[in-house]
Amino acid sequence: MSKRLVDPKIEIVCQEGSTATMADMEVAISPAHIEALHLSPSLSSTSTFSCPSSPGSSSSSSSCSDCSSDCPNQHQSSSSPRSSSPSSSGSDGMRGCSPPLDIISEDAVELDLVIDPEVALKACQEVLQKVKLLKVEEEPELLEKCSPQRLLPNGTVYLEPFDTDSIKEEEEQHDPSQQITQPCPPSQQPCDTGSIKEEDEEEEEKCDPPRQITQTCPQSQPQNGDQSSAAAKQSLLLRLFESKLFDVSMAISYLYKSKEPGVQAYIGNRLFSFSDEDVDFHLPQLLNMYVHMDEDMGDAIRPYVVHRCRQSIAFSLQTAWLLGAYSSDMHISTQRHSRGTKLRKLILSDELKPHAASKGVDPAGAAAASPGLRDGARVHHHQRHTVELSPDPDSQIIPADAYLSPSKRTHQRSKSDATHCTSLGTSLKRTASNPKVESTYDEPLRLTPQREFIKSLMGIGKRLATLPTKEQKTKQLTSELLVLNHKLPARVWLPTAAFDHHVVRVPHTQAVVLNSKDKAPYIIYVEVLECESFETSAIPVRIPETRIRSARSADNLLPECIGITAEQRAGSFSTVPNYDNDDEAWAVDDIGELQVELPEGHTSSSDNISQFSVDSITSTESKEPVFIAAGDIRRRLSENLAHTPTTFRKDPEDPSAVALKEPWQEKVRRIREGSPYGHLPNWRLLSVIVKCGDDLRQELLAFQVLSQLQSIWEQERVPLWIKPYKILVMSSDSGMIEPVLNAVSLHQVRKQSQLSLLDYFLQEHGSYTTEAFLTAQRNFVESCAGYSLICYLLQVKDRHNGNILLDSEGHIIHIDFGFILSSSPRNLGFETSAFKLTSEFVDVMGGLDGDMFNYYKMLMLQGLIAARKHMEKVVQIVEIMQQGSHLPCFHGSSTIRYLKERFHMSLTEEQLQVLVEQMVDGSMRSITTKLYDGFQYFTNGIM
Amino acid sequence: MPYILDNRSTFYTLTLLNAGPSQCRMPKTAMSQVEKKAGLLRRTSSSKKPLKEKVVLMYDEIFAKDDPAKNNSRFWDELFLMKVNLEYLEAKLESLDGDEVMKIKDNINSLFHHCVQALAEEHQIKVVNALQTLCALFRGVHQKNKSASGFDIINMLMGFDKAELRMKDLMESLDSLLCGEGSESLKALCLKLLLCLVTVTDNISQNTILEYVMINSIFEAILQILSDVSTRGQHGYDAVVLLALLVNYRKYESVNPYIVKLSIVDDEPTLDGMGLVVGQALTEYNRQYKDKEEENHGGFFSTLTSMVGSMFIADADEKLSVQTNEAILLALYEAVHLNRNFITVLAQSHPEIDIPTTPITPVLTTPTTPLGTTPPSMDMMNSSELPLDPNLQSSNLLITFLKYSSIVMQDTKDEHRLNSARLCLIILTCITEDQYADAFLHDDNMNFRVNLHRMPMRHRKKAAEKNVPSRPLVCAVLDLMVEFIVTHMMKDFPMDLYMRCVQVIHKLICYQKKCRIRLHYTWRELWSALINLLKFLLSNETVLLAKHNIFHLALLVVNLFNMFITYGDTFLPTSNSYDELYYEIVRMHQIFDNLYCMVLRVSTNTGQWKEPASKVTHSLVNVRAIINHFNPKIESYAAVNHISQLSEDQVLEVVRSNYDTLTLKLQDGLDQFERYSEQPKEAAFFKELVRSISLNVRKNVSLNTLSQDLLLKEFSTIS
Repeated sequence: MSKRLVDPKIEIVCQEGSTATMADMEVAISPAHIEALHLSPSLSSTSTFSCPSSPGSSSSSSSCSDCSSDCPNQHQSSSSPRSSSPSSSGSDGMRGCSPPLDIISEDAVELDLVIDPEVALKACQEVLQKVKLLKVEEEPELLEKCSPQRLLPNGTVYLEPFDTDSIKEEEEQHDPSQQITQPCPPSQQPCDTGSIKEEDEEEEEKCDPPRQITQTCPQSQPQNGDQSSAAAKQSLLLRLFESKLFDVSMAISYLYKSKEPGVQAYIGNRLFSFSDEDVDFHLPQLLNMYVHMDEDMGDAIRPYVVHRCRQSIAFSLQTAWLLGAYSSDMHISTQRHSRGTKLRKLILSDELKPHAASKGVDPAGAAAASPGLRDGARVHHHQRHTVELSPDPDSQIIPADAYLSPSKRTHQRSKSDATHCTSLGTSLKRTASNPKVESTYDEPLRLTPQREFIKSLMGIGKRLATLPTKEQKTKQLTSELLVLNHKLPARVWLPTAAFDHHVVRVPHTQAVVLNSKDKAPYIIYVEVLECESFETSAIPVRIPETRIRSARSADNLLPECIGITAEQRAGSFSTVPNYDNDDEAWAVDDIGELQVELPEGHTSSSDNISQFSVDSITSTESKEPVFIAAGDIRRRLSENLAHTPTTFRKDPEDPSAVALKEPWQEKVRRIREGSPYGHLPNWRLLSVIVKCGDDLRQELLAFQVLSQLQSIWEQERVPLWIKPYKILVMSSDSGMIEPVLNAVSLHQVRKQSQLSLLDYFLQEHGSYTTEAFLTAQRNFVESCAGYSLICYLLQVKDRHNGNILLDSEGHIIHIDFGFILSSSPRNLGFETSAFKLTSEFVDVMGGLDGDMFNYYKMLMLQGLIAARKHMEKVVQIVEIMQQGSHLPCFHGSSTIRYLKERFHMSLTEEQLQVLVEQMVDGSMRSITTKLYDGFQYFTNGIM
Repeated sequence: MPYILDNRSTFYTLTLLNAGPSQCRMPKTAMSQVEKKAGLLRRTSSSKKPLKEKVVLMYDEIFAKDDPAKNNSRFWDELFLMKVNLEYLEAKLESLDGDEVMKIKDNINSLFHHCVQALAEEHQIKVVNALQTLCALFRGVHQKNKSASGFDIINMLMGFDKAELRMKDLMESLDSLLCGEGSESLKALCLKLLLCLVTVTDNISQNTILEYVMINSIFEAILQILSDVSTRGQHGYDAVVLLALLVNYRKYESVNPYIVKLSIVDDEPTLDGMGLVVGQALTEYNRQYKDKEEENHGGFFSTLTSMVGSMFIADADEKLSVQTNEAILLALYEAVHLNRNFITVLAQSHPEIDIPTTPITPVLTTPTTPLGTTPPSMDMMNSSELPLDPNLQSSNLLITFLKYSSIVMQDTKDEHRLNSARLCLIILTCITEDQYADAFLHDDNMNFRVNLHRMPMRHRKKAAEKNVPSRPLVCAVLDLMVEFIVTHMMKDFPMDLYMRCVQVIHKLICYQKKCRIRLHYTWRELWSALINLLKFLLSNETVLLAKHNIFHLALLVVNLFNMFITYGDTFLPTSNSYDELYYEIVRMHQIFDNLYCMVLRVSTNTGQWKEPASKVTHSLVNVRAIINHFNPKIESYAAVNHISQLSEDQVLEVVRSNYDTLTLKLQDGLDQFERYSEQPKEAAFFKELVRSISLNVRKNVSLNTLSQDLLLKEFSTIS
């Protein structure tokens, strides 16, 4: 067993090539493992075999194998699944290396707390069961058990790796010799385990000597007392936590409200059992709590965050960005401040890697942690060991290595290292065609490419802001993106997308600067190649721009043309018009005699005549001339013009109007045609708005509220339509927005079409009775109702027509949630109405007496009733974000109270109906809406 | 080998000596130059022999019959340590006649051999001297051998049996020097030597030695120079010119490997590099022109002054256009014509930068930092810092080229400029035939302001065009064509330029029709320019017919109108524009009527123009139908409403209400055109062009090679 135990450490040892540390490590790890072994034999074994691929299992497996009778078998079993599953390999690795890491950076210690979701879930359940059982017996300790810290046997299991680290760290720091002297004996008491965790939490300070392990027990007792008083409550809570209804939203809510460290820790663990997507939705809340709330909260959340960071680059970056953004508000408490920023730094330092080789840092590793060693040399070193795998005694080292290196990444990486070397060696002297130098290279710094990508996008935005005119901005943008293009493809992605992909090209000429007075937000279109996994799939090979021609070009076009020509020559055009020189015939209007062939077929086919045959007019010697009516040409021209989806006129002052008006499918097709990557089946087009100098945290909050309401309405089957668009907060003054496709602002509609909204609807969708118009109208009403409610509930202000979009299906979409809740623009007293409802809107709905208008009001009522039912879910999102925030929307003390009041919990449905009527009436009559529009028109030229 | 001996070449001799060409025509004269030189020496020193430079003495030894190394085994080593006396060496070579040369052939062979060997020397001073000696050798031998065939030259320089080997060594050495890490000035000298070698004969195709340059290609070295940012800045120009010339070696007779290779290059950095070099050269020219113009026009607005001014400019700039830009233009042509990938480079936008030394680095060339290995930031942030000057117009090669064309086309009286203008139009023809180029020309998202230069003319103001709107590039091309049409209706009618011009327009319209692109262009300007052109043809019929087939041009013009008439629905931007077309035709009906009368007359007579004229009569059918249909209607409208002069709106109204009774004839093949092909039509033009470029390059190289003293200093201090 001891052998088994040693393994992970030995890996490290061989990495560093220092045997001196080996002893320390061995000792270091053992106590905890042994404990664990003693404490939870059953669970650890389950995890080892039932879910070998999980990181948690690796920890427990290693711990259970403490008993030095390690058999090769077992070893195999634990290592092989890892090698087969890349996802696990990452976390194994880090486990293996975690002890050394502690010493290098304090943060790293905490990170090693990785808890496998499955195990955690299981543990949670078991704990709960136990608690129940115990509860019946009315044992006082049972309460302790509901807090994972103090959990007895089962609870400890998933905390154990954590403990291990801390112990190790402490031992190494304070008393290495002591560790050596007491190698493996299972001396620790079960109850210590719980306390160890506590220590660990405080271990940032790193001042606790190992003795504290024993001292911590008393510490936990006071809590004990607290809890016992609330025993009854706890039990109810537990029942709730257990229930199927307990979802992320509730978890967050209880996490926020509960002052009990035990409950918080429990929920922290429970997070592992939710799906990633669900938790991701609440990530801003989680992180805000992490940043702004007390230690216990931080400790409860941290393991989960760290675990996810290890798993995913995307999550790491998102977390880092959000942490940065949410930490920006506070300078008061340095201690708190440090928690968020520390974690952020840690993530950005890229220590949270999924596999050991790269992040293994131990005493010796610290010295060896130079980046150079990290990638090339080291990995090769490992591989060498792997190769000489042999079963003799000193192969103790080697298995350890094998344990490490089979991870897919390692292999991949070293391979690419090799290719890199060769590519360097054969440096492309002869340029002829060697665009591949930059391909097939795996990123040693996994977060860097994406960060740099984002950084350059933001940099562009900053520089653009210095230019005076839209046109210059657009020009500059184009040039900048062209340069950016030369660095692509790379392991970068757009976080707004729903699928894994690599960015391969930014069609630079398509990007446009958006309307903004002093900032320079811009929209870019990004060509990506969908891939299986962003992190592991190979980066696509760069296809030079010039290749476009070989991919799709005249070669492909011409045969087509020729084919058609041949056909035509044989067909309709075999007879070529006869030119009777008697042109007088043409002068008179006796067309009746002339057989007028219907031009449709002919003109359309003659369109495609290839450009090859020369001067064919000379060969006009056949019988039948083809005649066309001038009127038809003229008619077709106007029809064609009418049928082509109305495009907007180019306006240098509003370059985005044209770009946004173009139907998305059309744009995709066009860009695909022009792209060297367009022929690839996994080619996709994405777009994103880059905002620089704007705080998007409120937007993110609005997005969350909108999404929450959307799902509530969906759940309650109210056909309200809203379109939450994704927001990425990158810092407190930059971020990205997912553009709403096929939508232009009402301002642009008015300015370009010079029509009233209703007329524009008629122009775009057809006359009143057509299916298309009715559908569009319905869409309009449903979206209007949805957004009216949103505007009311969130008190969205600054509702001028530039902030309201109209999509090609007739939906309106409100954008720009810069003024919500307690903030409003400049306090001019404008926009006092509940929401914006202009007579134009009402006209589109068919007037005040129309059915659609009644439908609108009814929808609002239903929507409000539904929202009221789930008020907590909505309020909670806002409430948590208020914590520690200086955002203008939380200005004043009563933001949340007012928000709750707007749900009118106390009113009956009849009263609500009256309320809706009143709001609609008030909004329609509101002079302030008109005033505000006028104000915007005069100040910003927004129509 | 069936070389056509070019008798022009006999009159050109070395310009190295400060004497004018007239003095150098005969070898005897050249000899006297040598004497003079020697005389100079004598005069200053009073005793003859001791004061000769040592290198001159050594040259003399070579020109003696004996092996110079016989007495002094280190002769060759020493020779290349001496500063080269190019004048003497060249003049001496030149002065020898055939027999004499044959006598010292072995020595010259061995001089050549040792030159080539010296190129591999470590001491760069030797390399420099060897390169310069080679220059002098190539030049001197050619100037001597006016009557000798290429084989004789090869024999004289290298000896038949050794030639292949020697040239292989030479080319390999040059290649490694060009691609190596060595001094930049050394690379420059290598390129000069190559340019010198390529241009020793007036007709490049008669330069037999180039056969070896074909076999031992230095194409890759040229490409490498172009792809690398630093070398591109310093040597790009020479490299591009060299490439352009090499491509033209026996282009039509044999398979030129440079043509083949150039046509398949698809390496982005290289093509970009080539585009940048061309773009910078053209930009530089544009800038100089603009400076001159501003200098001359400063503050004066009277037409007289501006005309005088433009004359000045023409004179001042002529030299420039002749000396530099034809070569660059030829390079651009070859790239556009041969390499389909190069088209993308045309649209690569780059900020307009005057100073060619500022390297624009759109390419990631350093192999040490491939993407993904290093944080993109490194290069991204550093190199992407584009100059942030709001006044800076972003530009691209095509825009630069269009501006350049607009300058060159202003004045086509001078033959050089006429050739340049012709080449510009040929390049435009190639561009407009390319699908991809058409795509970006019409790309609605690529809008640019292109300030074309317009000839100052009495009837129009000049400064009005400062505010050109930002439009798709095709508008600039059309503007340029319209501008050309309007400004060149002169007695010395540039017929072929007009043909090309109208064809360019035709190709663009064909593309628009095919792809249903509705360009928001003021077509009216084009229509009236075309109608005026017809008018000009009519009024100068007799003069023009003596020289040109005006019917062909008239046919093209009328067919453009037919395109608009019958296919207008596919590409006109608004329904009103179709009405305006009819309005314009009806308004100018007199010209169409006259044209019809004229072509009818010519086609009924027998004569060489019968057939082309009758084609025009056929093509006029729809135009005439329109005129005959609407004219009575308009007249009756005027009569009914008692209006003597109808306003435009009223006419348009009549047009609109009477479409339905008009029938048109669908004409076949309106959207078909002859694709451009260099051979055989343009072959003669290019031969002449290459010849004149060769002469210029030779002139420039000779001057530059001499100024390599600085270089010598550089190396003498190093070694």
